[in-house]
Amino acid sequence: MFDPKIIIDLLAENVRRTGNPFGLSTGSINGWWKGADLPRQGANLLFTGMMYQMVPAINAATGLLGKYEDTPAGDRIRFGRRVPRFLSAAVLKMATAKEDRSAAAGVLMDITRILQASGVDFAYRPELDGYSGILLYDLGDRENFIAHARRVAGRLQEAGVERLITVDPHTTWALRELYPRYTGYRPEVRTYFELARLQGNGDREVTLHDPCFYGRYLELSQVPRTLLAGLGVRCADVNSAGPFTSCCGGPAESVSPALALTVGRRRLAELQATGRPLVTMCPICHANLRRAGADVMDLSALLVRFTRSGENSQKRAE
Amino acid sequence: MTVVSPEFAEELKEYGDDTALQCFNCGTCVAICPLVDDSFPRRLIRYVQIGARERILASGRDLWKCLHCGLCSRTCPRQADPGEIILGLKRYVLAAWREE
Ligand code: SF4
Ligand code: SF4
Repeated sequence: MFDPKIIIDLLAENVRRTGNPFGLSTGSINGWWKGADLPRQGANLLFTGMMYQMVPAINAATGLLGKYEDTPAGDRIRFGRRVPRFLSAAVLKMATAKEDRSAAAGVLMDITRILQASGVDFAYRPELDGYSGILLYDLGDRENFIAHARRVAGRLQEAGVERLITVDPHTTWALRELYPRYTGYRPEVRTYFELARLQGNGDREVTLHDPCFYGRYLELSQVPRTLLAGLGVRCADVNSAGPFTSCCGGPAESVSPALALTVGRRRLAELQATGRPLVTMCPICHANLRRAGADVMDLSALLVRFTRSGENSQKRAE
Repeated sequence: MTVVSPEFAEELKEYGDDTALQCFNCGTCVAICPLVDDSFPRRLIRYVQIGARERILASGRDLWKCLHCGLCSRTCPRQADPGEIILGLKRYVLAAWREE
């Protein structure tokens, strides 16, 4: 385990400087929308919260931290009271995998296709998108979380944004629960799957892992299940689901990749007991369960098959 | 030596909800916590109850093993909200480290 203070101070400084915990420029992580020709005006603003876009950096950082955890070099980092050089933005940028970057972009593109096929009136404006700061909050750095959240909320308020569409549980919870409490900004916040209206008959069974924030904090587990049931996709019974779901372990990755992996493997064993393909709805769960050895699909990749563009791209792939 | 200070719960109010005194040490949170530890998070909550500030600071790092998953809070029979107590303790310990 690494010294939490060193890690938190590094993340907080990065968030303050660049708006994200890895110190990467927004332009370098948020390019998925280029060429997508998305409307800039609409009744709802798609707010990605940058979590999917950060997965390549999360994977790179977790991999590097994991190499050093509980080693003599790791000890120097732990006790040396200094920021590990391998966590610098330049090293992380080089270490991100191309396939992780295109997978993240693919999820967001699929989500826009699902919204379009559902007839949702939405806009995307990259200059208004941003990281919510949720990791700082979860790590106990409330002060820096609030400072960041006020900057993000201020931008959205100034642009007159009142309705947001989110794509991950951490950002959704932050915007629904924490932003009103700490910034006074009270937008209407809906996840993309709450707005999805799709048709089709999939006739299959999957294993849906409920992330803690959707399953427990926001109690949204039934929404994707109802949506999938309408598409002929059944969700297998999982030990620990809905409000009693079990954590994927991902939130520990910044201070202890080893612990994140141990918890992830335990959860994966529960999920694999169904013998059905595994579906997640959170980039953190997705990344950690993959590290634990899972073959896993994002909910958006399943839903997009029930849109015309998804059908076509699937046919092309076949 | 640990100096027991009942005012500690009061001091912690600045960092989070004041629910630790609801806990009757049943251990449900320990049994359900995905960290599978012998005493986490109950031990830390007991420290709050008895005002064992030094012991909390001494086991400060352990707090960051907590995933803030909320399963303990959901299952606590006394609504003591152990997950949020741990989050409040993270804030408290981080503030103490930053003051050092
Ligand atoms: S916090 Fe709740 S679950 Fe944990 S020991 Fe106390 S009463 Fe029991
Ligand atoms: S919130 Fe923390 S202490 Fe509670 S069950 Fe989850 S990991 Fe364990």
